[in-house]
Amino acid sequence: MNYPVWELTSIGGGSLIALIAVLHVYIAHLAVGGGLFIWLTDRKAFKDNNPALHDYIKKHTWFFLLLTMVFGGMTGVGIWFIIALVNPAGTSMLIHNFVWGWAIEWVFFGGEIAALLVYHYQFERLTEPERNRVSFLYFLFAWLSLFVINGILAFMLTPGKWLETQNFWHGFFNPTFFSSLAFRSFMCMIIAGLFAFVTTVRIKDSIFRKTMMRYTAKWLIYTMPGLILSAIWYFYSIPQDIRNTAFNINPQSALFINIFILTTILIFIGGIVFSLRIEERWQKIITAVMILVGLLWMGGFEYSREIARKPFIISHYMYTTGIKPADAENLNHAGILKTAKWSAIREITEENKLQAGKELFNLQCLSCHTVNGIRNDIIPRTKDLTYLGLIAQLTGQGRVLKYMPPFIGTEKEKKALAHYILEELQQKPVSDKESEINLPILEDTISEFNPAKSDYVLLCWSDLGMHCISDAEKWFTILPPANTMEAQLIKRGPVPELVSENIELTYEIEDGFKNPAQHVDFWKYSEMTFGRKIPYNKGLTGNGLNGVFEFDENRNSFKAEAIPVVPYSDAGIFNPYPLFTIKALNKGTGELLAKANVVAPASTKMGCLNCHEGNWRFKNRAGMADETAINILKIHDRINNTELYKSAADGKPQLCQDCHEDPALNTEGKPDVLNFSAAMHGWHANYLPYDDARSCILCHPANPIGITRCNRGLHNSLRLVCTDCHGTMQEHSLSLLKGQVEKPASAALMANLTTTNVNSTDDVEPRTPWIKEPDCLTCHQDFEKPAENSNAFNIWNDEFEELYRIRTDNAEIRCPACHGSTHALYPAKNPYGKQRDNLQPIQYSGQPFPIGSNNTCEVCHKTKMQDAIHHENMEHAFRNPQTAP
Amino acid sequence: MNPSDLIPATEAIPAPSGIFIALGLITFTLHILIINTILGGGLITLFSRLRSPDQENSDHFYYPAVNKIPTMFALGVNLGVAPLLFIQVIYGHLFYTSSILMASFWIMIIPLLIIAYYGAYIHARKYFPAPFLSKSAILITILIVLYIGFIFVNNLSLMVQPEKWTIYFDNRSGIILNLSDITLMPRYLHFITASLAVGGLFLSLIWTIRQKKEVNGAAERVKSGLKIFGYATLVQIGIGLWYLLTIPRDFMLQFMGGNIFYTIIFLIGFLTPIGAVFTAFKNKFRPTLIMFFVTIVCMGFIRYFLKIMYLDDHFSPDGLTIQPQYGVMALFFIIFIAGLFSIAYMVKIALSANRRRAV
Repeated sequence: MNYPVWELTSIGGGSLIALIAVLHVYIAHLAVGGGLFIWLTDRKAFKDNNPALHDYIKKHTWFFLLLTMVFGGMTGVGIWFIIALVNPAGTSMLIHNFVWGWAIEWVFFGGEIAALLVYHYQFERLTEPERNRVSFLYFLFAWLSLFVINGILAFMLTPGKWLETQNFWHGFFNPTFFSSLAFRSFMCMIIAGLFAFVTTVRIKDSIFRKTMMRYTAKWLIYTMPGLILSAIWYFYSIPQDIRNTAFNINPQSALFINIFILTTILIFIGGIVFSLRIEERWQKIITAVMILVGLLWMGGFEYSREIARKPFIISHYMYTTGIKPADAENLNHAGILKTAKWSAIREITEENKLQAGKELFNLQCLSCHTVNGIRNDIIPRTKDLTYLGLIAQLTGQGRVLKYMPPFIGTEKEKKALAHYILEELQQKPVSDKESEINLPILEDTISEFNPAKSDYVLLCWSDLGMHCISDAEKWFTILPPANTMEAQLIKRGPVPELVSENIELTYEIEDGFKNPAQHVDFWKYSEMTFGRKIPYNKGLTGNGLNGVFEFDENRNSFKAEAIPVVPYSDAGIFNPYPLFTIKALNKGTGELLAKANVVAPASTKMGCLNCHEGNWRFKNRAGMADETAINILKIHDRINNTELYKSAADGKPQLCQDCHEDPALNTEGKPDVLNFSAAMHGWHANYLPYDDARSCILCHPANPIGITRCNRGLHNSLRLVCTDCHGTMQEHSLSLLKGQVEKPASAALMANLTTTNVNSTDDVEPRTPWIKEPDCLTCHQDFEKPAENSNAFNIWNDEFEELYRIRTDNAEIRCPACHGSTHALYPAKNPYGKQRDNLQPIQYSGQPFPIGSNNTCEVCHKTKMQDAIHHENMEHAFRNPQTAP
Repeated sequence: MNPSDLIPATEAIPAPSGIFIALGLITFTLHILIINTILGGGLITLFSRLRSPDQENSDHFYYPAVNKIPTMFALGVNLGVAPLLFIQVIYGHLFYTSSILMASFWIMIIPLLIIAYYGAYIHARKYFPAPFLSKSAILITILIVLYIGFIFVNNLSLMVQPEKWTIYFDNRSGIILNLSDITLMPRYLHFITASLAVGGLFLSLIWTIRQKKEVNGAAERVKSGLKIFGYATLVQIGIGLWYLLTIPRDFMLQFMGGNIFYTIIFLIGFLTPIGAVFTAFKNKFRPTLIMFFVTIVCMGFIRYFLKIMYLDDHFSPDGLTIQPQYGVMALFFIIFIAGLFSIAYMVKIALSANRRRAV
C-alpha cells in the first residue's frame, strides 16, 4: 500500500526469498552447530592428545569458515535485501519494532566473525586453552545470534501478547520462542554432523577415518530424540487456530511436512549407515546425497513454517500483502487504489479497468503468486473460473480457507481485478451463461370433466415444484432422475370421500420422453453411484415412465416414487415440464373412472458453470458438461483431500450423498461429514457475491429469463422471492449448518456468515433439510392474508407431517392436491404453456385457481357448501385473480 | 502526480532519531574505510602485478594487502550491516522505495558479493600456485566492488530525490537507475579515488608497523604508499570540487557561508586533505593519517548535511514519532560493550600469539 511493487511476475519475489532464505538458513544453522562441533572436537583432540584429530579440526575449520562466513554471511545480508524488495511493509515493521534486537544480533555476528578469524588464522599459535576459549566464544556468539533471530522469526508466527501490548519483550519471548529455539538448536547439531562428513570422508588414513565417521555419525543419531521431542513441543506450542489453518486447511503444507518427516528419517538412516563399515567411494557419494537431503530437510521445515504463517507476514497483524487486518474495514470503504501510494490509477473507469485490475493484482496478489512462473502460478489456479467464479473467489477468499488473505477493496475494485485476471491473464472474454431464451409455447392438454356427470375428481401433483438432476453421471451424481408423483381420488357427492379400494391408478409420460436412458448416463453408472445395476428406463424404485401408483396408507394417497423423468425429448427438445396422464380405473372392471394431467418438473439446469467454467452440455442450453464437472471434482479434491476426480476418471464416479447424509435420498453419509444441503449452501454462501435471491438462481433453475424458470407459482407472481421464505443465502446456510453443529466443518463455515432478518447467528433456528422447512402458516396465520412484509424465515415446522407437501386439511385432502406443488402454487405461470401447471383447476373448475376456490365447492360436493370445513377462511373470492396466466 | 504523495508513511522509532543517525554515521564511516581499503588495495595489487608480472614474491610493497583483503571483506560486511540497519530505521520508507525501483540491480549485489568474496580468497590462496587464476580472481572482485559501489551511489542518491520516482510508472521491472543525476559521476568517482588514497595509506600503515619491527625496505614502502595517497588525494580534491559544482546551487551556497556550521565543516574538510597531500609527499605518515581522519569525519558530516538539504521538502527525521524502548536500547549498549571487550580479548591473545611466534 505504501510502496511500489517490483513486477517480478514470472520468477516471483517469493521464490527469490525462498531460494535465498533456505540456502542461508541451512548454512546459518551449520554456523551454530558447527561451532559446537569445533569446540568439542578440538577439546577432545586436546584431552586425548590426538594429533590426527587436531589436524582434522584445523582443516575442517577452514572449510567451515569458507562456507559459513562467506556464503552464510552474505546470504544473510541477502535475506534483508530481498525481503525489503518484496515485502517492504513487513520488513519496515520488523526493523522498527526490533531494531535493538537486530543491533544486538549484529554485535553477536561481529563477535562470531572475530572469533572465527582469530581461531582459524592463529590455530597453531594460540595455546590450547586459549584456542578452546576462542572456539567456545565463537559457539556462544553464534548460538546467541540464533537466540535473537529465533525470537523475531517466532514472533512472526506467534506474536502472542504483543498484539495487545506492542511490548518488545512480549513479542520476543513469544509462545513459540523456547520451543523453536530448542528445536533449531537440535537442527544445528544435526547439520553440523552432516557437514562434518564432508571433511571426514576426505581423511586419508582409513582407520582414523573410520573412527571419525563413527564420531560424526553420533551427531546425527544421538540428537534425534531431542529433535523429535522438541519438534512435538514446538508443534503444540503453536496456537490451535494457526495449526488448523496451516496443517488441516491449507493443502500446500502436506507436501513440505512430508518432505520434512521423510528427510528426518533419511538423516537418521544416514547416521546409521555412516557408522557401519562402507567403502570409501560410497562414503563420498552418500555424503553428497546427505548434504542435499539436509537442504531438503531445512527447506521442508522452513516452508512449513512459512506456510503456517499464511495469510500473514506477521500473524494476525499484517497480511502477506502488507495490509493490516485492522485497516481492512476502512480500505474496503475507501478503496485500495485511492489509498495505495503507488497506484497509477485512482478512479476506475470502463476504459482503465484492466489497468486498474493490474494495479490491484500487483498490490494484492503478486506478493505470493507468479504469472506463468514457478511458484503459486496464478494461471492454472484461475484457469477454471469464470468472471463470476473469480468474483466468488475474491469474495470468499480468506473466509473458510484462511491461508489466503481476504480481498480488500471496494466492489468496483474487486470487479476490476476479476476482469484483469480473466481478460488479461487468461485471455478470455466475460461470457454470460444465462442469456434470455425464447421458449416454445406448448399446447395445454386438458382431460375431460363433466360437472354434472363425472363421479370422480382425480387430483395429482408432483411432490416437488422442481426436481433437479445432475446429469454428469460420468463424474458424479448429486441427484438422479427421480420424480415422485402423488394423487388422491375423490368420489363426488354431498359428502365426498377419498377412495382407494378396488382402484388402480396408472401414469404415463407423454411421447418422446419414454427413453431417458438415451439421454443421460444415470443407468450406465448406477452400479457405481447406487450400488446396483438399474434396468434401463427404470427408476431407483423400479418405476418406469409408465406404470401404476401404489397406495400409501400413511399419507392416504397414491404414490409413484422415483420415476426417472429427464427433460430431454427424443426429438432433441429440452422441456423441463413433460406431461403425465394419470388414469383412475376400476380394478375389477377396468372401467376408466377419472383422468387428469400433470407436469413432472425435472431440470438439468444446475448453474455450476456460472462459476466453475464450461458450457451447457445439451445444445448449449442445459446439462452439465465434463469440463464443469471435472473442475468441481478437482476443487473438492484439493480442499477436502479426496480423490474423486481420479476415481471418476478410472470409471468409478461417486454419489455425493454417499459421504454427505441426505434425507432427500435417504442416505446416511459419513459421520463427520456435513449433510449435503448444509455442505453445499454453507460452503457457497461464503463465496457467492450476493446474499439475496440472485445467489439462489445462480445454482437453482429459477432464473426468470432462463430455460426452466421453476419458481412459477402464485408467490412468484406476487413478487415474492426465494429469500422471503428461506431467508438470505447466508441465513439459509446458517440454519442448515446450525443443524449440524456437531460436525467439525460447521463452525468454520458459519464463522463469517451474517444475518439480515434476525439479529445474529445465535437467533437462527437450526433445521434439517427436507424435514424442516418454512411453514406456510408463518405468514398465513389462520390461513389469512399475510401482513405486509411478512417473512417465513426461521420458523420451521415442528413435525414432519406439517410440511406443506405432507400436510392435509381437515378432510385428509393433501395441501398440494388443491394448491399445486411447492413453487408452482395455483395459479402458476408455466413458461412452456399457458396453463401447463394449472391443468387440473382448469379441468375441474375452468379457472386456474386452487381447487374449490371462489366457492367452487361443487367440484367435489356437486353443490355449493356453507361452511369451510377444509381449513379456516376459505369461503371468499380468490384474493389475487390478477395473477391468473 | 505529486512526488510527495509517493513517499511512504513513516513508522514510529524506538529512540530519538539522533541516536540512530549517529550510530549510522559512525558505523558507515568505518565500513566505507574498509571497503575503500579492499578496492584500493585490490587495484594497487592488480596494477602492480600487471605492470611487473615476473616478480611474484611476497616481498612486494602491495603484498600485505593480498592476505588482508579476505579478512577485510568479513569486517566490511559486518560493519556494513549496521549502517544498513540504522538507515532503515530513519530513512527506511525512502530507502525501500528507491531499492525497489532498481530492484533487479540491487538484488544482484548479493550473488556478486559472494563471488567477490570468494574471489578475494582465491586471489590470496592461489597467489603463487596459479598467478593467472589469482589475477583474474582479484580482477573480478574489483569489478564487482565497483559495480556494488555504483549501485549504492545510485540508490542512495535516488532515495533522496522523490521527484524522480515517477519514472517507476514507465518501468516497473526494477531496472531504474539515477543516471540522469549530474552528481552521480563525481560522487561515484569520489568513492573510487578515495579507495586508491585509502589503499595507499593502508599499505603505508602496514609498512610503518613493519618499519618498527625493522623489516628491510619498509621505509621505502611507506613512502610508496604515501605517494599513492598523495596523488590520489590531489585528484580527489579536483573531483570533490566537481561534485560540489554539480549539487544544486542553493545547497552549495550553504557550504559557502549560507550556514555557518556547514561552512566550517566544509572548510576543514577542504583544507585537511590539502594538508595531507603536503605531509604525504613529505613522507610524514602520522600527520597524514591524522589529517586523513579529520577529513573523513568532515566528509561524513557533509554527506549527512547534503541528505538533509535534499530531503528538506519531503522529510525530516525530527518529525518521526518516538515509541521508546530504552530498556532494550540499554541492553544493546551493554552487549555492545561486552562484545567489544571479548573481541578485544581475542585480538589481544592473537597478537600475543604472534609475538610469541616472532620470539
